[in-house]
Amino acid sequence: MDESIESVLPESGSSHSLKLQFTGSGSEYFRIWIVNLLLTIVTLGIYFPWAKVRKLRYFYGNTLVGGEPLGFHGDPKKMLKGYALVAVLFICYSFAGEFSPMAGLIALLVIAALSPALLKSSMQFRLANTSWRALRFHFAGDLNGAYRAMLPLFAPGALIAFLSVLHPVTDPESLTWQGKALSLLGLAAVVFAPWFFWRLKKYQHDNYALGGQQTRLSASVGDFYALAAKVIGLYILCGALIPLGILIEAFIFGFGASGESGGGKHIAAFIGFALLLLVPLFVAVYAFWLARFQDLLWNQTASTDIRFKSQLHFKSMFWLTVKNWVLIAFTFGLYWPFAAIATQRLRVQAMSLEMSIAPEQLVADGLEHADEAVGLAAGDFFGFDIGL
Amino acid sequence: MQELAASYFDGRSAQAHAVTLRLADGVLHIVAADSQEVLRSVQMRDVQWPERTRHGKRVAHLAGGGLVQTDDTVAWDTWVAANGQHESLVVKMQQSWRTVLASAVILICLIGAVYAWGLPLLSDVLVEATPASVDQSLGEAALTAVDAQLMAPTQLSADEQSRIQEAWKQVVAAQAPEQVPQWELVFRKSKIGPNAFALPGGTMVMTDEMVKLVDGDTQVLSAILGHELGHLQHRDSLRMLIQVGVLGSISSVALGDFSSVMATVPVLLGQAGYSREAEHAADVYSVQVMKAAHISPAVMVVMFDKMAERNREKAKGAAKDGDAEEPSWLGIAFASHPADAERIAFFKQAAQ
Repeated sequence: MDESIESVLPESGSSHSLKLQFTGSGSEYFRIWIVNLLLTIVTLGIYFPWAKVRKLRYFYGNTLVGGEPLGFHGDPKKMLKGYALVAVLFICYSFAGEFSPMAGLIALLVIAALSPALLKSSMQFRLANTSWRALRFHFAGDLNGAYRAMLPLFAPGALIAFLSVLHPVTDPESLTWQGKALSLLGLAAVVFAPWFFWRLKKYQHDNYALGGQQTRLSASVGDFYALAAKVIGLYILCGALIPLGILIEAFIFGFGASGESGGGKHIAAFIGFALLLLVPLFVAVYAFWLARFQDLLWNQTASTDIRFKSQLHFKSMFWLTVKNWVLIAFTFGLYWPFAAIATQRLRVQAMSLEMSIAPEQLVADGLEHADEAVGLAAGDFFGFDIGL
Repeated sequence: MQELAASYFDGRSAQAHAVTLRLADGVLHIVAADSQEVLRSVQMRDVQWPERTRHGKRVAHLAGGGLVQTDDTVAWDTWVAANGQHESLVVKMQQSWRTVLASAVILICLIGAVYAWGLPLLSDVLVEATPASVDQSLGEAALTAVDAQLMAPTQLSADEQSRIQEAWKQVVAAQAPEQVPQWELVFRKSKIGPNAFALPGGTMVMTDEMVKLVDGDTQVLSAILGHELGHLQHRDSLRMLIQVGVLGSISSVALGDFSSVMATVPVLLGQAGYSREAEHAADVYSVQVMKAAHISPAVMVVMFDKMAERNREKAKGAAKDGDAEEPSWLGIAFASHPADAERIAFFKQAAQ
């Protein structure tokens, strides 16, 4: 029996805590994945949108918010057209640069000019085809906002590309001048990256809407810089640990005792061992980033009556990532769907919702009609996603 | 008449209603559990029927908004089956371990077959269909890029250059004309050590360092150029582009939903395998070129020996092991060229 039926309408003002659960299973997704993969290959890719819809329905249907599942409504036939269109665009983009730098530059500019529109329609498609308690979500962001959010991201990139095409290197003097300009731009890109990223996430998280509620991201650009500083600091620390580790090894085992060539072998072994240590260290930093970023993003996302909470533990994220990668390697990839499910479970179940009205009081806002299948396809090809 | 208890959301409010579902004459009737009032009637074809899964609820979305659902999956499945609804083949396949295992076996065989025959055949067809002008413009773009980053103008004397050009022209003249693609030989001073390579469209670049490495021996240089001419004859650059593209799309479709970093591993491994085959084919071509010009294929071994000697000298300063490293299976899987020992053995055998 559904909890919702039993619950009586409480008076507004009291707080409702809704848990997020993920009920998908690795072995069931494995079966869906294998059949999807087989049919996609046998049909030379035409089945791909149907496979995608089956996968999304399984993931959404097993994501329970306060006991009620999400629904995915994308139409595979419309998505097929979208994929075909984007595939053509993508092929043109990949091959243009091989022919001449100018063709590559033009393709890059076209993609850059189109990508905010693709981002917007990707978000719109995803949200408009997602429902909870039979209420459709919608994405409230407009085209103007998408361009404003992404412009700073593409301006330096376009400038770099433009410079290197218009001023091909001829003499060493111009090389140093150009090199300086390029490295300055590259440095600026690194320094401003958290700010660009914040603008992008703000555009997304400011515009999720359901039943008259629209979310806002209250995280400041400073929060993004603080997290970036921590992550970069950890990377540097990991890098510094390597020579230290080698030194300690050298003290413990001692080298030079077994003669010249033996010493060489020892050093090679030491370096190999140190590199082996490096892998889990970097996995740890990666897991730290994933966990802290999900928390930062969702803890500061809220609408008038809905507040999200996320408590993703770094330790569990780290062990899960290590386990997934090891098992994927040992099973030659067959563990892949199990890993996808386990990661989703950990990330979803770390979250909860706090609502100041009863969920039953939400009413459709009548704004949910956009159906741009090109959007979803674009998201897949160019790597936009809502992150959860 | 079969009935099923379920809950109903109308699509306008988030409120759930307890209902009874009835199917009659191709219409789904949603009846309020308490008042017995018919809340909604929907044509069966306007219902998105849920697929059988072991986890999750049964949720049927209705055209025009709204849904009916239940936690009781067994009751739902019995109700649907009793009303003559058929399950799609895909769902049957997904829900039986036997068909899933069969699918996995077919999939593995299929991927093997696509890799061993399908993709090479497809690249053959695509390479065949691509006009030579494409190779030409690819080659021009590549030469500009290489010149800007890795090369400087040659410092070989004009005499030395024409001596090598003449020797190579004589070797080419000894070949069957239909076996020889269009070619042009250019010299460059290299920033990356001794090397020789062929660019699509027919430009072969020989570095000053390679000429010096083999002491200007035109027979050895011709053997190297024969290998590069083989790449041109087989249009390997274009083939490689096509293969990476196809492998990349297959891999991202299959594996992209978990980690895009990991999805590049099969592409790297797969392409390295094709690359080793292409290198071997170019070696075979080179032997054929040398034999037609009455040069012993064994001269190629000189190049390998000099390369190995140079690497040893470089390694001395770097406190690395002097002995040639044993090729590990992991190294082979990622390597673009077959192991040197294997290639040396091949040329020695061809010389007999």
